[in-house]
Amino acid sequence: MRNIPRNRLPPIKILSLIILMTSINLVSNYAMIGIPNVKFMDLFVFISGYLMGALPGAMVGVLTWLVYGTLNPYGSNLIIFVATCLGESLYGVVGWLSAKFGLGSNLSSLKEVKEKRVWWTNLKFGVIGFFLTFIYDLFTNIVSVVIVGLPPLMAIIQGAPFAIVHEVSNFFFFFFGCSALIAAIKRDLGG
Amino acid sequence: MGERSSWMWISLGLTCLLIVAAYLTIYYYNESTHYKSLYERAAADLKKLTMPVNILIDYGNGTRKWYNNTLVPREASLFLATKIIASVESITYPEMGEFVTSINGVGGDPGRYWIWYIWNQNEGKWDWGPVACDKYILQDSDTVMWRYEQF
Repeated sequence: MRNIPRNRLPPIKILSLIILMTSINLVSNYAMIGIPNVKFMDLFVFISGYLMGALPGAMVGVLTWLVYGTLNPYGSNLIIFVATCLGESLYGVVGWLSAKFGLGSNLSSLKEVKEKRVWWTNLKFGVIGFFLTFIYDLFTNIVSVVIVGLPPLMAIIQGAPFAIVHEVSNFFFFFFGCSALIAAIKRDLGG
Repeated sequence: MGERSSWMWISLGLTCLLIVAAYLTIYYYNESTHYKSLYERAAADLKKLTMPVNILIDYGNGTRKWYNNTLVPREASLFLATKIIASVESITYPEMGEFVTSINGVGGDPGRYWIWYIWNQNEGKWDWGPVACDKYILQDSDTVMWRYEQF
């Protein structure tokens, strides 16, 4: 299989992929709204950045939050909304950086992924997913707590159970999902 | 894949575990602090609603058992306090009150009855209970005795 150079994707494909990824994010977010902090969104934003570049990746994150952050049954707050948009775009940027540094360059086919030859790459993706989520949680929790006038340490204490769920679930989503999705989307984009 | 790179990723993986452990520690410490404060509040409420009394049960056969600092509701009668620490059987006399016939299965022998006493701190001796046990309202830190004796 050919490795599609990300910067050579036609703009129309990038635009379609941005819309597609944003739609998938929204659908999955609303479908999983009953499970707090367990979402596929972060994985999809990361993959968008990985496949299309930093700006399109960040756009997928921001566009998703534009809808999900405003039409949310748990309510919305402008400062938290900005924080989540910024935090989410980080997944896209790091996705792009991961591709730039050659992470997952061995993902040449879905067959390899299925035959579990990429567990080491999966582990790297899982670790990246965990750390990104850790930074995202720390940032958004601190913003959420500071705006109500509490000390930042309270953010860590109060957000601990949610952070664990978010970070561990994202580790597994990145571990099991990244390689397969990247290989599958690469194949379709190259067809 | 270089050996250095492998160790870097393994270290990062272990750091993930460290973060999870730290979060769990914070979470459970926070929970324990929360439940400790709830417990202390409940204990303070309980203290307002209860009082300690000391009850001695003398079975008349050499067996004496103390129930020190037994928490009973404020304004509880001796009868209620006794029922908290022991299995009690009694007969109700409408004019007089409860007459205890058995404590913890001991009682009913001809000529022997359960009599109650209250410790007189001023004189340093046991005084006869002045009324039926259900009519006597205990005070904070009272010391009372049930004795199974020949009468």
